[in-house]
Amino acid sequence: MNEVKKQNEIQRSETAQSMKVIVFRQFLEHKMAVVGAIVILLLLTAAIGAPVITAVTGLDPDRQNVSARYLLPFENAMAPADIRETEIEHWIAEHPDQASALQKSIVEKELVQGGEEDVLYELAALDPTEAKQLLAAVQTPEAFELKKVFDTWSTFHLFGTDEIGRDVFIRLIYGARVSMGVGILVALASGLIGFLIGAVAGFYGGVIDTALMRVTDALISLPLIPVLIVFAAIDLQKIPWLYGLIGGANESIFKMVIILCLFSWMTVARLVRGSILSLREREFVLAAKTLGARDRTIIVRHLFPNVIAPMLVSITLGVGESILFEAALSFLGLGIMPPTPSWGNMLNNAQEVIYNNIWLAILPGVMILLTVVSFNFLGDGLQDAMDPKSIRR
Amino acid sequence: MLTYILRRIIQTLVVIILLSYVIFTIMALMPGDPVELMISSNPKITPEDVIRLREFYGLDQPAWKRYGNWVSTLAQGDLGYSRTYRVPVTDLLGPRLWNTFVLSMAAMVFSLVVAIPLGIMSALKPGGKLDSFLNFFSFAGISIPSFWLGIMLIIIFAVKLGWFPAGGTQTIGLEGASIWARIFDSTYFLVLPVLSLSIQGIGRFVRFTRSAMMEALRNDFIRTAKAKGLPRSAVLWKHAFRNALIPLITVVALSISSVFSGAILTETVFSYQGVGKLVFDSIIANDFNVAMVSFVISISMVLIMNLVADILYGFADPRISYS
Repeated sequence: MNEVKKQNEIQRSETAQSMKVIVFRQFLEHKMAVVGAIVILLLLTAAIGAPVITAVTGLDPDRQNVSARYLLPFENAMAPADIRETEIEHWIAEHPDQASALQKSIVEKELVQGGEEDVLYELAALDPTEAKQLLAAVQTPEAFELKKVFDTWSTFHLFGTDEIGRDVFIRLIYGARVSMGVGILVALASGLIGFLIGAVAGFYGGVIDTALMRVTDALISLPLIPVLIVFAAIDLQKIPWLYGLIGGANESIFKMVIILCLFSWMTVARLVRGSILSLREREFVLAAKTLGARDRTIIVRHLFPNVIAPMLVSITLGVGESILFEAALSFLGLGIMPPTPSWGNMLNNAQEVIYNNIWLAILPGVMILLTVVSFNFLGDGLQDAMDPKSIRR
Repeated sequence: MLTYILRRIIQTLVVIILLSYVIFTIMALMPGDPVELMISSNPKITPEDVIRLREFYGLDQPAWKRYGNWVSTLAQGDLGYSRTYRVPVTDLLGPRLWNTFVLSMAAMVFSLVVAIPLGIMSALKPGGKLDSFLNFFSFAGISIPSFWLGIMLIIIFAVKLGWFPAGGTQTIGLEGASIWARIFDSTYFLVLPVLSLSIQGIGRFVRFTRSAMMEALRNDFIRTAKAKGLPRSAVLWKHAFRNALIPLITVVALSISSVFSGAILTETVFSYQGVGKLVFDSIIANDFNVAMVSFVISISMVLIMNLVADILYGFADPRISYS
């Protein structure tokens, strides 16, 4: 048995492995990166599937319930009395026969005090668990039907509720949609911008290079948060063309993406410029040039594939950074505007609510930390896996 | 060397001028200008008044002209008045700048004091238990949102344990106390903000010290030093650490601006009376003059500190020549 295994191993090590396989194997060795990748996949699934989760559990990120504010995790909320009353009214109106039969049997068993037409309302006014117990004593199909109505009144909140009684769990999931969406979009877009600027600077050199790199250096040396704050405070309506382009319900999200993109392409640009400075002296570029390829073709077809690996690492790390910036700006009230939930704006009044419900201040931050750590580990793992100097075989 | 320094100084100046111009035009795009605020607070205002006021404040002129006027008054040493605080900006800005400087420096020093020994320890035994723990810790440090960490520190140390104040800069009514009592008091208020501001730096510096130290330990002269029987500590500090210090200085210099960047969040969370909070508050309160002046001055200071660090770096590493 052992012999066979050994043989297999020898055979495997002797056959040539493709680059992808090597990189993948190396990546698997970085345990934290694998964990990070799994966490990211889970969060992405939850974020993309958020509408499905809403459809299945009936949780809605915008549904308020003022009678159940600041619930702690694992608590049940009860629909407020007025809503219960109207729903009973509806039920009686829709099922008059069932209702009268049920009313009779309740009065017979003397479960609640009151006249025949009032008992159902009296029952609804009680605590739902108590009401359901009483209702269970009536062993009729009508009682079973009414119990279904009662069930919808009490909602379970895994992570509790916030200051206006919205479910925190579903808001965190919809927040993942916004925060991760913004993070990934910004990282990809700034990767593209960075590539274009870096490639042009590195490929053409000379004055263009100097000018572009001066701008890059200047932007890198700026303290970003204050600059981002100033840009985020712009009133979009004062720039009509931009407002016409992105104005609307998701205005604050697009605004955030644009502002973050403006200030996060520099790392990629530097990286790409550095690689292209050495790549452009290589023979394959010369060959392409001699064959009459246009500059655009050389940059896109020949140089881009050669810088994609380090770019990927930088983009992955950029996602984490963008999520942090978005969270910070939304926390200050300048980023994603409520009621759209983002992890940052859920923390917006965290300091005021810690006496009411401490979890409101803890959970969104945990989500940010978890996501950003995962992206950083993933980036680190990718770097290790793709660095030819660190290949261990 | 001299041309390099000159070039860097000119560069920094150009950045400051361009940035202040961009910010000046951006501020004009924020909701509400001074006249709009007056209109909203005074229902009896007539259209003629509005035109007159716009002329008076120079708001009818193009942005570049207003910028020119603004710069020339700044150059005369007149920083203008604050609309919300009703005091000259100069009075407002001085103590705020000092507070932020103290906070940032304390955070910087604290993170270096913590991170360098940890980084060296983890470089000495790469792959060991301590190394993997520190690796995880520094990743967490880089990834944690500093404002949230601040809130957590408030919950634990101010609300639950009550050891430190939840916010503020100093105890009110301590003006008459001795200088030491006041310094002690400010330090007491600084503990939590510094902790929350330095965690990111600690994470970054631990990782950086580790890699710089490992790089330095791989050198041939380390083997030579060990071979000739030098004590371990001498090899470590005199030969390895000195060489690791050079790349470390670069990272520290680059961190100045990110520490200031983080300070704005920390100051807001702890309502620490620093310049970052001043910038943020005045933007929110439409106090454009304060916002503009404090923004430009604080960022210029960060850039100048960057410049100084850059120039000093040239003296620290004899191998660097600026030609």
